[in-house]
Amino acid sequence: MESMTPALLMQRHEILEADLVLVRELGSHIEPRLSEYVDHLYAWMRQLPEYDEYFLDPRRAERVQRAQVDYWRELFRGVIDEAFVARRRATGEMHARIGLSLPTYFAAVDMSLTILVDRVLPETALGERKAAALRALTKIVHIDTAIVVHAYNRLTSEKLAGQARALLELSTPVTALWEDILLLPVIGIIDSRRAHDIMRSVLQRIAETRAKVFIMDISGVSVVDTAVANHLIKITKAMRLMGCECLLSGVSPAVAQTVIELGIDISAVNSRATMRDALEEGFRRVGMEVKRIGQ
Amino acid sequence: MSARDAEARAMLVLRIDDDSDIPVVLVRLGAFLATQGIEASEGARIATATVELATNIVKYAKRGIIRVRALQLGSLRGIEVEAEDKGPGIADVNLALTDSYSTSGSLGLGLPGVRRLMDDFDIRSTVGSGTTVRVRRWMS
Repeated sequence: MESMTPALLMQRHEILEADLVLVRELGSHIEPRLSEYVDHLYAWMRQLPEYDEYFLDPRRAERVQRAQVDYWRELFRGVIDEAFVARRRATGEMHARIGLSLPTYFAAVDMSLTILVDRVLPETALGERKAAALRALTKIVHIDTAIVVHAYNRLTSEKLAGQARALLELSTPVTALWEDILLLPVIGIIDSRRAHDIMRSVLQRIAETRAKVFIMDISGVSVVDTAVANHLIKITKAMRLMGCECLLSGVSPAVAQTVIELGIDISAVNSRATMRDALEEGFRRVGMEVKRIGQ
Repeated sequence: MSARDAEARAMLVLRIDDDSDIPVVLVRLGAFLATQGIEASEGARIATATVELATNIVKYAKRGIIRVRALQLGSLRGIEVEAEDKGPGIADVNLALTDSYSTSGSLGLGLPGVRRLMDDFDIRSTVGSGTTVRVRRWMS
């Protein structure tokens, strides 16, 4: 994800030194009356359905109110530097962590602007420069919003990546099917990361069990591209080095056809159409056969 | 038949930033092909070609974009996959289309394989400014 530097943000939102000067002047009128702002804002927030959920503890409400006052003080300093960006990012992450929704966050920002401009700012302040000052203020608030959305986004992607990793870890269930025979049903998508996971856990299980046959069933894999085929070939070869023969099963007609059209040399891979065929071959290799009883 | 006359009915845009996007490509492409009524074995073929192109983007250009379009040309239905990157480009396109030629230590079957899997294959590459590969598969 792109980095949010102060310079980039100022340039994108077209914030000039004149804007910062105006915001500071605006702040000189608003700052002495920030406690009024807090009263109005909390009157509005209390009617939100989420309010009770977040502010059960009154000490928390006090802490957040102080943080909000500090927030506007910092904004009215009219300085956009690394420290400003870092603090805004921390605020965004904090809101994302407690599960505050972005629409509620934006509504609160918008309500804050309404309160500051319509109720807190003295009507005659700044004279004819008022419109320009308010425009400058919204620009800076929008910078803030951009940082917060970015922070929400980053946390969401981290969460998704974490879930994906968790799924991967669940997805190499190597099972001992019989003495000397292991089975791994591979389901879903094999990417290079997962291929490495499979390789690692498969070889470890072979070392632990001294298995002679490994059945890898890929009937749950819909796409075998050259990278996946390459991984499968490597896994097969590594198993063979450990004295274990890999039997690939569950190759669908579509997968068989694409692998051949891709031109992959699969002569190193011992393959069977179904898991049943692979199991029969596995039993044969370990010197067993399955018989119907009573005949 | 001129593929230019084909009409695009729907489009899917997939951004590739790193190899963690490849599983995402497969999932989203699978859903897209299903809504277009593409049967499973054709879907596997198109998905395989798309993954090859996505893998190339990650390997050589780091990031890029893949556009998948559902086409209609008379009674024929088609799927077009266009992979575009602003990477280093390919110095010798004919060599890159040769089986077992690879500059990255892989099997070297990606691009020639994609050409075999699909019906139409078009590649434009300029050293220093990027590569666009456009492939199509037609179904009755």
